Amino acid sequence: MNELGIQPFFILSAFLFVCGVVCIASKRNAIGVLMGVELVLNAANINLVAFARFNPAFRLDGQVFALMVIVLAAAEAAVALAIILNFYNNHATVDVDSADELKG
Amino acid sequence: MFDVPGRIYVVATLLPLAAFVVLLIAGATRSFYRPFRKQGGFAGSMYWICGGDKPLKTGAYLATGCMAVAAALGVYGLVSFLADPSEGSIRASRWAERIDWVRIGPLDTSSPPEWERQRAADTTRATPRLALALELGYKIDHLTAVVFAMVTVISTLIFIFSIGYMKDEAHETYEDHLVHERVGKVGEHHGDGHDSHSAAAHHGYHRRGRFGRFFLYLSLFCFSMLNLVIADNLFQVFVSWELVGVCSFFLIGFYYERPSASAAANKAFIVNRIGDAGFLIGIVLAWSYCGTLNIEELTRRVRSPDRDSHNTYELANQVIRVNATPVVGDAIPEYELPPIEEAGTGTHVLLFPLAWPDPTHFHGPGYGKHKDKSFEVPAKRDYLSYGVMPYALFVLMGIGIFLGCMGKSAQVPLQTWLPDAMEGPTPVSALIHAATMVAAGVYLVGRCYPLFAPEVLLFIAYIGAITLFISATIALVQTDIKRILAYSTCSQLGFMMLALGVGGWIAGLLHLITHAFFKALLFLCSGSVIHGCHHEQDIRKMGGLWRKMPVTAFTMLVGVLAISGAPFLSGWYSKEQILSAAMGYGLEHKRHILLLVLPFLTAGLTAYYMFRLWFLTFVGKTRDTHLAEKVHESPWVMTGPLVLLAVFSVGVAWGWPFWDAEASYLGHVLKESQPAFVAVQFAAEHHEAEHRHLTAGALALLLAVSGAWLAWWFFGWRQPAESEMYRPGGPGYRFLYGKWYFDELYDTTIVNPTVMLATVAAAADKAPTDKTAPPYVTLPTLDGILNAMAELFVVVGRSLRAVQTGRIRTYALTLALTAVAVLGILTALAK
Amino acid sequence: MTLPIVLFAIVATITAISALGVVLARNVVRMAVWLLFTLVGVSLLYFLLGAEFAGTVQLIVYVGGTLILIVFGVMLTAQGPLRELRTRPAEWLVGGIVGALLFGLLVTASYQIALPPPSTDNTLPGPGPLGLTFLGVTETSPTANVSGLPDDVVVPRKPVAYLLPFEIVSVHLLVVLIGAAYLARAKRRVKA
Repeated sequence: MNELGIQPFFILSAFLFVCGVVCIASKRNAIGVLMGVELVLNAANINLVAFARFNPAFRLDGQVFALMVIVLAAAEAAVALAIILNFYNNHATVDVDSADELKG
Repeated sequence: MFDVPGRIYVVATLLPLAAFVVLLIAGATRSFYRPFRKQGGFAGSMYWICGGDKPLKTGAYLATGCMAVAAALGVYGLVSFLADPSEGSIRASRWAERIDWVRIGPLDTSSPPEWERQRAADTTRATPRLALALELGYKIDHLTAVVFAMVTVISTLIFIFSIGYMKDEAHETYEDHLVHERVGKVGEHHGDGHDSHSAAAHHGYHRRGRFGRFFLYLSLFCFSMLNLVIADNLFQVFVSWELVGVCSFFLIGFYYERPSASAAANKAFIVNRIGDAGFLIGIVLAWSYCGTLNIEELTRRVRSPDRDSHNTYELANQVIRVNATPVVGDAIPEYELPPIEEAGTGTHVLLFPLAWPDPTHFHGPGYGKHKDKSFEVPAKRDYLSYGVMPYALFVLMGIGIFLGCMGKSAQVPLQTWLPDAMEGPTPVSALIHAATMVAAGVYLVGRCYPLFAPEVLLFIAYIGAITLFISATIALVQTDIKRILAYSTCSQLGFMMLALGVGGWIAGLLHLITHAFFKALLFLCSGSVIHGCHHEQDIRKMGGLWRKMPVTAFTMLVGVLAISGAPFLSGWYSKEQILSAAMGYGLEHKRHILLLVLPFLTAGLTAYYMFRLWFLTFVGKTRDTHLAEKVHESPWVMTGPLVLLAVFSVGVAWGWPFWDAEASYLGHVLKESQPAFVAVQFAAEHHEAEHRHLTAGALALLLAVSGAWLAWWFFGWRQPAESEMYRPGGPGYRFLYGKWYFDELYDTTIVNPTVMLATVAAAADKAPTDKTAPPYVTLPTLDGILNAMAELFVVVGRSLRAVQTGRIRTYALTLALTAVAVLGILTALAK
Repeated sequence: MTLPIVLFAIVATITAISALGVVLARNVVRMAVWLLFTLVGVSLLYFLLGAEFAGTVQLIVYVGGTLILIVFGVMLTAQGPLRELRTRPAEWLVGGIVGALLFGLLVTASYQIALPPPSTDNTLPGPGPLGLTFLGVTETSPTANVSGLPDDVVVPRKPVAYLLPFEIVSVHLLVVLIGAAYLARAKRRVKA
């Protein structure tokens, strides 16, 4: 594993991150946006675990952070879904472009 | 309580204040409970008790009662003061007291606080502060006692007169015929059961009567005046001075719906303020150099002691001038007397200790043996060491105090407010603008006399001479009965100032007393005439009124005779003394001959314009028959005071033998409190005056008789045709009728430039309200700049508003872009 | 070509392709399926890295919890037209450019990081130490180099315990639970 190095993980994580960002920026479906957020979180998690593996200083910390992110992501997903459902109840749509009441 | 008899005066002073407070509370209570007036119960009954819809006369009776008691106390005080056999310090302690009002430093001067010590060690300061307290106090001397009795008696009579004169104000609604233009526009909302907007449009302005308010102001005024009279320190004088000023403002503006009245009130207040600024300067100088504001202590600071411990002192009661000697190193600065041949010159005034370290053994400055010729002035000064004050500042202090007196006593060039002040009700004119308030200026000059350098006294004399002449010439041609009297007041005040300036201290203050009586009489007579003629004030429309109102006519004749200086009337005694003092001074100092010429000339003019007034009003044919039908004599409540005042005007200055003007008893009483130095400083003048006083009397009498005869010839005998009286007249006439164009001069030189400056400032401040103006016009103004800034933010905000799309995806994209930018920058930096 | 490299290549490819699938799929149901594969791929990566516990948690919580939640969301909101909301090509283009830029920068940055010397210990702490850590019982970690510092600078590490974060996360979860229930309850129907 050591001969692989940490860079490939970085690149994969970067790819997932970018995918998530593009997903957030381009999906009109609110649930699609939520999935983009999950991708971004996962990208971060990959980094954390990779650091835990390759840097002895983070052997514990990396994993702990990753676990916390996973839990928080679950919580975030629950809240986001609640918001989306509420929005859907009020607007009969999940199109994020129609949620522009805060337009200046 | 009366183991200190001086407290009579405190009680008498506080009585009008009590009346004021009661009236004020009653008025406030009435206003407070007014919403409940329709309901019964406590609240409703409070409204009706405190006045109800119709002004109550009770308040006036209360105020008059208080004033009458004060007058009784004043007269009783005068009698007991004159009868008091005690002498010296016992007498002083019986008739004067002082307490701290605001104490700034510790009582024990031997252990000053740290800051005081540091301050004292700082030699760069002019004079360390000595006075550590503002005090309240009273001091009764002969002058105070006499003036106090005069003020209270005249005030009482005027209060009584006012009950009759102001009775229209006691009605539920008062119709002001002189207010037309405001009706229906700004109408004051008294709303006491009537609508001021309906049916009033062509009949004048309707409002609730202000009977109580009038007496409220009068009471406050009397309190202020009495407080001013008994005050023993300049600060208390100043406070009363301002109170008097503000009461004058209220009373002149009593009919404040009339634009002319409110303008006159403002004018009086503002012009007085100019004088008061000077007064304040004087007070501050006195405080910072002499370290006290108590007038007696100030006198003892600036004047040398009466005597030294050997009871011989040639420089007693003098202002001693000294020169500074060069200081070497850190030595205590020393000052020394100039050489004997240059005595009386010097750059500084020596300030004397208030208490000598060893009272049994001291010798003041002087040129003889055992006399001090040089004085150490330590940086830390106390009551036991000498001090100095630059002579220029000493003069400035005197002029500053006199400036305040000029404002109050309407001396040129601050005289313009007094004639305008006739907008107030006539009793006010009588009380304030003739008998008392304007007298305050003269009184204060008399009080602060020892503080005036010779230069200041000369200044006072010239101001007085100029005023008396200018005002008399203006009075020659006026046609408004009250304005003639107003200018005559100015002129008579000028006489007083002149007398004080030329060393006739007794003469000036005697004239103050006698003038107060006969001028109050004249004003109240004019008030009676105005009342009888239904508020007609133009003497050209009157004539032949003596048949209709004999009491008024004859009492007024007494007043006219008194002011003209007819022998054996009160005015004669005082005026004769003034003129002989002026003559003595004029002959002694030939350079100042103007001080002799002007008063004599004016004595003739006075007789002329006063008799002109009387003849035009009371003698001859009735010129306005329409007016004459309505004329009636005033009720006893008004004529009673007239008769009493006439009696006073005749006899107040009598003495024995009464044909000798110098024998006036009142004059002798006043002489008791004449500052000691007057007799020394003006010895030559007094001698000359003594010498010439018969000449002066005869000359004055001759001039007065010829003036009176001229008036009789023109207006009593020749009876000018009506058309003649309304003719515009020549340029000289117009010049005098236009009051020497003082108002116009001030308008052009001061008022208009100020207004213009204000307009320019306002224009620089405000953007024009005209919205069509191009923006570059408004930009340079302050408003324009601020508006432009505001506009800029509005524009920026409006354009930035488009960025706020409200779409999450845009935000996310922007966030991503920001991340790209930040990462890019960091990457670039990391290389 | 050792086994780990091969395995990594396979797993990474699967993960990347399915992530791309999430982005490119139009139908939201398909997106969910692609996401499932991505998440599974990530959990496989964790196993590869030796973090078995993290991988397990990823599988259980993410795949078994969060994703189900999302699918529920899809189910509750998926009406015909909503299942496929079109994005304009211009937006795709802008998003793609920003994404490409970001990706380039991240890759550049990842090559600039000063890496610590590779760990000699191939295994990561398992659930036992992790659990103890969460309970606040730790042994002092060995001294370690922190990236960015010169090698001879040794930063002594203090014992780290995660009891407090653990508690915070627990409370957080509780709050979220209540909040989600509150938000999602049907208050009123849409008027139109």
